[in-house]
Amino acid sequence: MQEVQRKIREKARNLLLAGSVDFVIGFEEGALLLRASPVFIHKEDDVEKLIWDSFCENNLAAYLTKIGNKRVAVVAKGCDSRSIVALIVEGQIKREQIVVIGIPCQGMIDRRRIEKEVEGEILEVKEKSDEILVKGDSFEKVFKKEDYLHPSCRTCKHHNPVISDILIGKEVKERAQVDEYAEVDEYEKKSVDERWDYFNKEVNKCIRCYACRQACPMCYCEECFVDNSYPRWIGKELNSSDLAVWHIIRAYHQAGRCVDCGNCERACPMEINLRFLTKKINKEVKNYFNFETGLDITVPPPLATFDVKDKQDFIDSGE
Amino acid sequence: MMKKISKEDMNRFIQSLLSDYTVYAPVNIDGIFSFKPITNFQGIDLNYQNSKKPPKEIFFPQSETMFEYEKGKVTSAEKVSRKRILLGIRPCDAKANLLLDNVFAGEDYQDVYYINKRENTIIIGLGCRRPLSTCFCTSFGGSPFSRDGLDILLIDIGNKYIVDVVTDKGKEILTDKFTEASEEEVKLAEKIKRETEKRIKSEVKIEGVKEKLDTMFESPFWDKLSERCLGCAVCSYLCPTCHCFDIADEAKDSQGRRIRNWDSCMFPLFTLQTSGHNPRPTDKERMRQRVMHKFNYFIENYKRAACIGCGRCILNCPVNIDIRKVLKEILTN
Amino acid sequence: MRNPYLPIPVKVKKTFIESEDRMLKTLDLIFLNKENKENFKFMPGQFCEISLWGKGEAPFGIASSPLEKDYLRFTVNRVGIVTTALHYLKEGDELGIRGPLGNYYPIEFFKGKNIVIIGGGFAFTTLRALTKYLLAYREDFKDITIIYGARTPGMLLYKEELKEWERREDLKVCITVDKGDKGWQGLVGFVPTIVERKAPSPEDAYAVICGPPIMIKFTLPKLIALGFPPERIYTSLEMRMKCGIGKCGRCNIGRFYVCKDGPVFNYAQLEKLPKEY
Repeated sequence: MQEVQRKIREKARNLLLAGSVDFVIGFEEGALLLRASPVFIHKEDDVEKLIWDSFCENNLAAYLTKIGNKRVAVVAKGCDSRSIVALIVEGQIKREQIVVIGIPCQGMIDRRRIEKEVEGEILEVKEKSDEILVKGDSFEKVFKKEDYLHPSCRTCKHHNPVISDILIGKEVKERAQVDEYAEVDEYEKKSVDERWDYFNKEVNKCIRCYACRQACPMCYCEECFVDNSYPRWIGKELNSSDLAVWHIIRAYHQAGRCVDCGNCERACPMEINLRFLTKKINKEVKNYFNFETGLDITVPPPLATFDVKDKQDFIDSGE
Repeated sequence: MMKKISKEDMNRFIQSLLSDYTVYAPVNIDGIFSFKPITNFQGIDLNYQNSKKPPKEIFFPQSETMFEYEKGKVTSAEKVSRKRILLGIRPCDAKANLLLDNVFAGEDYQDVYYINKRENTIIIGLGCRRPLSTCFCTSFGGSPFSRDGLDILLIDIGNKYIVDVVTDKGKEILTDKFTEASEEEVKLAEKIKRETEKRIKSEVKIEGVKEKLDTMFESPFWDKLSERCLGCAVCSYLCPTCHCFDIADEAKDSQGRRIRNWDSCMFPLFTLQTSGHNPRPTDKERMRQRVMHKFNYFIENYKRAACIGCGRCILNCPVNIDIRKVLKEILTN
Repeated sequence: MRNPYLPIPVKVKKTFIESEDRMLKTLDLIFLNKENKENFKFMPGQFCEISLWGKGEAPFGIASSPLEKDYLRFTVNRVGIVTTALHYLKEGDELGIRGPLGNYYPIEFFKGKNIVIIGGGFAFTTLRALTKYLLAYREDFKDITIIYGARTPGMLLYKEELKEWERREDLKVCITVDKGDKGWQGLVGFVPTIVERKAPSPEDAYAVICGPPIMIKFTLPKLIALGFPPERIYTSLEMRMKCGIGKCGRCNIGRFYVCKDGPVFNYAQLEKLPKEY
């Protein structure tokens, strides 16, 4: 990891010195333990701020729809790189604007789970090759990284960047065996009532801060449907029906576009299980169209294309 | 006046309050604490650091019906139907309510919805024995055991609470289960106070920030600060002193409700005019507004910063923006 | 305790289309109850939140003068949900208003002075209120000059009244349009140009200027060049507003809320504030 970090700094410095990019988006040490924070490096003197560890959880592609005409280098894990591809496919950024500093990713640590498994506040964190050591006033505990990855990382099949201009670090072995949709399968087995109850329980935690939307690289609409006032699609209150509409439409709008990076879920202060909905949609897209988001820069998302031979059997004739 | 009550008696006391009051207390839902009306003392979980959403929502709910109307006949919802108890609020959040009073119950227009709830609520605070490293209440004149804005302050000394009765409103609800605290018990409470306060390591220098901000409106500092901001409302919605709102109608034909909902200066729509003009068009202007409002405009208007150092914005920012660091950078800018 | 969020019931007395594009409509409103009418005391420059059941509220400057006792006048530009619904109102329809809100033109300062009123487009509403008020106490003021411009003759507000004012001896009225039509015999040219050409004297004078931002942007330097000091040039600002009473937090410029501390400011005040409007 130290080596990766050193190389990120070196490459960032070279890019800035050569004037090939206006700035570099990467990670710096977070203000909180178990956290890194996104950082924008404009000057080569600042590259020492750049870090790489198991807490670089944010999907930095979320910033790319705001860069205008700038040329930007971005540190990209597997999921970030897939979002970049998806944004290029959707015409939101130009390939030549972006220098992808690809980093094969081992998965990022689920800080909330670790925090919940200790009594008291964590005051010191040490990262070792496959362990995280945490200390507090009255405890000291070791967590095996592999067991404490974010849920999205645990089911990830694309740890290696799908595109990169500069690749740093060794490719990691993808987990072939992982059952990506296990949670969705479990959910589908439940009765309609149980599913409805679970859905409601989750979405009723929502406080409509829209952190999920803002954190998502694919939520770049100039005006989100919730903000649209004419026509107004949805009320602004904190009631079950408005919340349900928001979360259903948000998930639907991700069909064939979500890379399952989990940025929405980590951004959510209320810890709503947001991924179970998008994951379900991802599964359907995979089943119907054999499509996974952000793997191929030449293939548009299935719902953004039309062909006369498209399946139509999903249309409910109402009979 | 220092009283004491055993924890069992406290539970019975809370239960007895339910017949006359709606009691709001910390409730644990899937690991997230919030203040909810309880039906039984067993629903309360006082083993909490602080609530995720600040208890300002007891006085200023996220969604609130202001009045209902039908064919022009208006029925206002400003009256509070039942007296309330807010139990277990932390001293930092109680202090935040005092800041909100400036806005909603100030000298000019009176916000009846807020004021009625405030006036009909007795606030029983629970001194904070678990400050986090992100807590900096002492930098804003608070403390884990501050009595400001409370009617009663409870200090947990193990198997019982020391009960510091702050106001007459608080005194009125006491029962004979509240007995005189012994000198030793009071001393123990004092010791706990001192030791807890010492554990607040985070110190923010607020002196001079306002003056510095006076000169910084056009500074490139805001470009830099806002770069990583996602533009969500986590910081404002979880802030116990943020108080911006939107007014909207929910109606069918001429029958409906006028409601208000929390709003945030971090959203572009907040200031977007119908003409399409937006005085705060990007994250930069919006971030600047939030910081300026708290640490410059609010001080100009009410002589105090609109921050109480609870650390919620730090803990919950999806990109780990730290207001303590921001304030430090302002001073050294 | 009075609830400042509750609208006062009013009804539509009369409506008329002001402009050839039919986007500007004037509503004359009357109070449904006498007590409300008597308690509603305002000055030119103040505004109301007009409240429409099921649609919401929007702020509008009061276009009538306090001395017009029979109605409250508002002129509405049809742009959004509330304004569109307001355009559909007919005589007798009931609605609500909240107000009067905000501050007003400092008429006390204007006494014994020359007054230059400069308006553009449909922002002439509170300037009409001001003019009516000044005319009612005509002897309290020295020369009164009005420079008012619109895109075309058909877009001018209060056309009949303007003609009446033009005939008055005690009022200097310069009406201008960006583009004239067949019958137009008046001035043609943008407001800043006309201000420069007419060159009202800054001597012992106050200027009040309301209009689209672009007009204000170019007129202001002309006034300064003529010698008007910033503290004697007043304007009324527009911002997105909701509560109208300084609580909801969106219309501030620096520490001031436009709804409560404004909307009327002079340029000396605005120069000290952030350029965020």
